Amino acid sequence: MALINTTTTGVLGTTLYGDGSGNLTVQKDGVTQGIYGNIPAFSAYKSANQTLAYNSVTKVTLGTEEYDTNNNFASSTFTPTIAGYYQISGSLYWTGISGRNYAVICYIYKNGAIYKRNAISITSLGSAGDWSNEINSLVYCNGTTDYIEFYAYEVDYSSSGTITINGASSGQYSSFSGILIKAA
Amino acid sequence: MTLYEKIISIYPALTIDDFFPGKGTIIIQNDSDGKGDYISKWEHPTLAQPTKEQLDGISS
Repeated sequence: MALINTTTTGVLGTTLYGDGSGNLTVQKDGVTQGIYGNIPAFSAYKSANQTLAYNSVTKVTLGTEEYDTNNNFASSTFTPTIAGYYQISGSLYWTGISGRNYAVICYIYKNGAIYKRNAISITSLGSAGDWSNEINSLVYCNGTTDYIEFYAYEVDYSSSGTITINGASSGQYSSFSGILIKAA
Repeated sequence: MTLYEKIISIYPALTIDDFFPGKGTIIIQNDSDGKGDYISKWEHPTLAQPTKEQLDGISS
């Protein structure tokens, strides 16, 4: 890992070389201003449908990774190894709701507890009737123990039934992603 | 029979609102780890959280 600290006396025009491994960290007075290189970023999606039971806050499983630059995403859980502020985004595509009325919520979970939520009411619009909802938030992670997950909840007011989160091999429907915006 | 249905059979007076996250005092959760539903929060002001024996005693 290379380190450039602006309090270090240097010679103008001097090129600093790292050791060729790890990320480049820039500090001012010992405080990290930015990290450059292979910063954590991931994107995963549902490649198969997931049935959500009535009245149970359920973890969304994301079976296919599109990319995971720093190997921080596993078992549908993002555990970044660099401290900082992460833009986290999730999208759920609900299907099979014809003739039904639901309230659905999607959540960003941090360390096993609700961090942010987004709720919508779904009313059947006939035989088509697919809906989606999304959630976005800037989340601080300490780079060691903090972890992020994606959860969802449904209440079927019409028949106390299940609902389906759409998954497809195309990756175009339900997904979850995140990227480091600013190191801390 | 789901965990929700078992709880309702023990306490028929409970409604959907009692379980609605952010509004109710009870949360049922499933971590998709193969272990199924469990009660992650029970803060109902008058009703006690059902014991494992009570829940297991309800036939499916």
